[in-house]
Amino acid sequence: MTTKRRPITYTTEGVVVRISNLGEADRIITLVTPIHGLVRGVAKASRKPGSKIGGHLDMLKHVSVSVRETSTLHGLSQASTLNGFRKLRDDLERFSRASYISEISEQFSVENGSNQPLFRLLLSVLEALETTTNTDMITRFFEMRLLQLSGFQPEMSRCVETGIELKPANHLYSAERGGLLSNQAKPVIETALLPASLNTIKLLRFLSKAKLMNAKVIKAGEEEKRQLSRILRAQIHYVLDRGLRSEAFMDEVRSKKTET
Amino acid sequence: MAQSDTAPSVTPPVARLIEAFHRLPGIGPKSAQRLTYHLIRMPKEEAEEFAGAIAELKDRVVLCDTCANISESAECQICTDLQRDKTRICVVEEPLDVIAIERARVYSGKYHILHGVISPVNGIGPNDLKLRELLERLRDGSVTEVIVATNPNLEGEATAMYIQQLIGPLDVKVTRLARGLPSGSDIEYADDSTLAHALESRAEIS
Ligand SMILES: [Zn+2]
Repeated sequence: MTTKRRPITYTTEGVVVRISNLGEADRIITLVTPIHGLVRGVAKASRKPGSKIGGHLDMLKHVSVSVRETSTLHGLSQASTLNGFRKLRDDLERFSRASYISEISEQFSVENGSNQPLFRLLLSVLEALETTTNTDMITRFFEMRLLQLSGFQPEMSRCVETGIELKPANHLYSAERGGLLSNQAKPVIETALLPASLNTIKLLRFLSKAKLMNAKVIKAGEEEKRQLSRILRAQIHYVLDRGLRSEAFMDEVRSKKTET
Repeated sequence: MAQSDTAPSVTPPVARLIEAFHRLPGIGPKSAQRLTYHLIRMPKEEAEEFAGAIAELKDRVVLCDTCANISESAECQICTDLQRDKTRICVVEEPLDVIAIERARVYSGKYHILHGVISPVNGIGPNDLKLRELLERLRDGSVTEVIVATNPNLEGEATAMYIQQLIGPLDVKVTRLARGLPSGSDIEYADDSTLAHALESRAEIS
């Protein structure tokens, strides 16, 4: 853009998904917002103890903030907390899940790309994570819904190789092909296949239609949970073309929890 | 992104330095260019002095074997100081935090520097911090209190929680710096976490 335009200022709500330090006392804050997509801006002097906005613009907070658009980094001011999600802050497991969910939300958002369904999903899942004891299924619900919202709903009724309707049985899953593959099918092109037992397939189908409140009460065996997690994660990796940084810590916390 | 800002009009040595500055924390592409062009205008001796200081830093500065603070020898000045209380360890994120606490002249115990905090979205986990070294220091039972002084934000709090769980089984008291309203601030602008902590740790006026 060569013509100088007047800076635009607007107020938006958003969830803080990334923070990095800039210079002596500033921070660069990245927010997922409903209308403006990913917003990155500088919060001046926000690392100083007396800052009016520093405490509000912390990770995983739902805030209202004033954005002054410039041709480079936007300026952020007048931040206030709408929901601090305090219960995500005093429990390592909830914290690790919420970090994962916020990282995926960031990865699926683009600057200026309005995405109200994604924003609402992020908020409702963070809220659910605060209180649920079923953090696993809430996480799976989020992954499934996010894939659906982004146009990557896994194919669960027909074989992705042959197109034939799948019989109720154990089958396989191909992230590359975006769905289930019949146990009878021989893929023409080699593709990584994950096991999908009949129960796992039922869970996948249920999750694809379930409301958040229903997801909270889903019970499943350890093996099904593991398969479900691997399938959805593989699909997200395939869509993003990379893994997520927050996975390692989430897995570590989870394995510690199952140990005890 | 930085490359497209600098290339293709600049010569390779200039581009290389811009890239090097850009890798530093808190330096964006614009600042990296500004610093590089400043160095181009700098007298040769001054630039050599600058380069020498960086080289010397890497040659002479090490991390203290005990507390991981930056030091000129295997044991830092604080760790070797016999006057200091060795029953208490204050755990901080970065060496700069030690300087800030020392400046306040209110603490006479030892330190332990983590060199970061648990930050899942940046791929930084407990194994990337100097936590094993901290546990090692607690083994002989001479330390009675660990004061966790990580920053009062989400990742600092999570790290404090992790340390508390890690040390929990040992017979060591784990404390956390009080969080609340900073001096000179205004309640009207306080966020919910700050207010909640300030209320929780309220004290009787005596
Ligand atoms: Zn030391």
